[in-house]
Amino acid sequence: MLHSTSSQKRDGMTFTSWQFGIFVAVVFGLYYLPAFRALQVQLLVVASLFFYGYGQPELLPLLAVAVFGTYLFVVLALRNRSIWLPMGIAFNLALLAFFKYKFLFVDTTSPALVGESPIDFLLSLPLPIGISFFVFHNISLLVDLTKQKDAPSLASVFLYIIFFPQLVSGPITRAGLFIPQIGPKFLADVQYVDAAKWILTGYFFKLYVANNLNEMTSYMSFPLYETLQTQDRWLLVFLYSYQIYADFFGYSAIAIGLAVLFGYRLTINFDLPYISKSFSEFWTRWHISLSSWLRTYLYIPLGGNQKGITRTYLNLMIVMGLGGLWHGAGLSYLMWGVLHGFLLVIERPLLGRLQSIDSTVVRTAQMCFVFLCVTVLWIFFKLPHFDHAIGYLTGMFVPSTSPNPPKLFYNLALLYSLPVIIQHFAPRALFERRLRGAEPFLYGAMAALMYLEAGPETAFIYFQF
Amino acid sequence: MQMVTVQWFVKCGLTTAVLLLACGFATARFGHGLQMPSTTTRDGSLITLNRYAKEPIPDVVLVGSSLTFRLKEEYFATTKLRNLALAGGSPVTGLEIVANQPRLPKIVLVETNVLSRATDNVLVEKYSWRGNAEPLFFRPVRTVVASYENWLHAPVTHAQAFSAHARLLKQPPSDFDNHVYVDRAVQQSNTEDPTVATQINVQRIEQLILALEQRGARVLLFQLPLSKELENARSIKIARDIVHARFPESDRWLTINVSRSELRWADGVHLDERSAFIVVQSIDRAVSLLL
Repeated sequence: MLHSTSSQKRDGMTFTSWQFGIFVAVVFGLYYLPAFRALQVQLLVVASLFFYGYGQPELLPLLAVAVFGTYLFVVLALRNRSIWLPMGIAFNLALLAFFKYKFLFVDTTSPALVGESPIDFLLSLPLPIGISFFVFHNISLLVDLTKQKDAPSLASVFLYIIFFPQLVSGPITRAGLFIPQIGPKFLADVQYVDAAKWILTGYFFKLYVANNLNEMTSYMSFPLYETLQTQDRWLLVFLYSYQIYADFFGYSAIAIGLAVLFGYRLTINFDLPYISKSFSEFWTRWHISLSSWLRTYLYIPLGGNQKGITRTYLNLMIVMGLGGLWHGAGLSYLMWGVLHGFLLVIERPLLGRLQSIDSTVVRTAQMCFVFLCVTVLWIFFKLPHFDHAIGYLTGMFVPSTSPNPPKLFYNLALLYSLPVIIQHFAPRALFERRLRGAEPFLYGAMAALMYLEAGPETAFIYFQF
Repeated sequence: MQMVTVQWFVKCGLTTAVLLLACGFATARFGHGLQMPSTTTRDGSLITLNRYAKEPIPDVVLVGSSLTFRLKEEYFATTKLRNLALAGGSPVTGLEIVANQPRLPKIVLVETNVLSRATDNVLVEKYSWRGNAEPLFFRPVRTVVASYENWLHAPVTHAQAFSAHARLLKQPPSDFDNHVYVDRAVQQSNTEDPTVATQINVQRIEQLILALEQRGARVLLFQLPLSKELENARSIKIARDIVHARFPESDRWLTINVSRSELRWADGVHLDERSAFIVVQSIDRAVSLLL
């Protein structure tokens, strides 16, 4: 077809750019200078603003409105929680709804939108990077901190919301876990090896696995996928499953490692999700910070599993459906969330019975089934246009008629997927005990390989959310 | 920093350095001769560009879009020929790269069917000076896979490939029903207006032709045959009118004489293998008269 492939790129500073490396080095150097000890929080706030505004300064006022607005609601809610807490949550949800879902109703590229210049300006603003994440931080802040007596300082609130490692794509650390960590940090306390391991692992998964697999999974785009053979459609879905994991796990690992450098601990976001034996287990292992947030601030307030079986099922469907829509304003994302909700509902009455069966074969079959379902549902992520997703899915079950299918190198696909497979299936004891002495060599090899074999640069998949 | 931490970083850093040195040494020792597997059509284009950047300048060079990309080099009887067409790219990108080389081919053939895309400045920058395109290190995993693939499928000679494709002509044209693909391509073409982009590209092509011909190369334009439905689609017609208005001289054009009834476009846009081979034969005949 007469089209070209394109990769999404953030205009600003990305974790994989050399500018970001210099930025971190400079901020790290200043942060631990004795002269800045009393201003560490302020320095991180300024650095985070610089990071966010780099390339997209027009979005800084929005960030300021979100932070100042949330802080104001925190202060007011400390006086009267029943009124100002819902108002604060509504304020943040309105921000999210306006910027994320305006595209459903307005053509933002149109030269004349509504004719009112301030509204036209707002309507024409691009989707602010990370808005889904910092709005959830804000809500966590409002709910957690208004249970206390004293308001935190504005600088602390700022840092919690815009701390640059977690600003763009999380992990969504709860306010109650982050704000108590704010305090003076000392160079001698930095856990360098821990930070290096997280950062190297993150970059390795992003550059070696995700970026290389992205080259192959570009064939999943419409209309390129119509040229694929049926078996290759299946293969690419599995490769995309590895890619999205490597991409997001990689980002989260880099964020955690960077936070360690500055003396903070962020929430672990992934725990080998593809070995889950049930869908409910999967959601305790995949994007843990989001599922925890949804459970704490949505599922439990809706009644959780305390209001009868029907209500529990309804709550699951609501939470997963909204979780899908949180990723994007599209039918594909909604369908992805609803189908996950449906799977959770279906398995719920069977879980106890399945868990009581002590059989390796059954456990393996469960694991394979969960992985297969999760993997197939990623099609709705890869192809946000619903018709395209359905077209791809349908093509997986009918023989291909393509006269000129592309050649995919299966050996290359395996070699690029291998780190994800090894991470999930190699016995942990092997790395924690027997290979402990070889650990620095292993990380050194990963560093070399991610440099030598890095795939073409592409934005982190979760930047678009 | 504790001694244990220092030791950890020393071991890690040394491992990285040793592996980089080993790879650098292997790259210097064995060069970049191995053809890496292409996982995308763009990779396929880059392989050709890499070869163009380091091998002797050929007599004939083709530049174009994915339409020309299908005219494989092994289809041509002309051996000193390189096809620098870029799938998903603009003919101007290839033409810029050719024009930026210190030495030029005798003939440059420019496809003008698709002129609505912008020049890929990254590629132009990367391949514009001979010798600069080679990286310091090759990619170890791809090199291993490439070695394995080359061992598994030993490359055939040009003569073997040519005779294998010549056998295609003895078969009848494909009867594959492509109307779904043609309809979609026509629909897409009817919704696009390539006027502005085409005018910019045509102007740049004119400048580059002038520069190339001042340095002794001959530049000819050509249009690959499309299916009847697509020939009449809006954006194709607009582009054709613009380019013919700018280059009305008949001697600027390479004529492709083929029987259209023999041609097929399996995906609605691109020539299938047999048709591409028929078109290549026509180009071969025209080029042999010019060399």
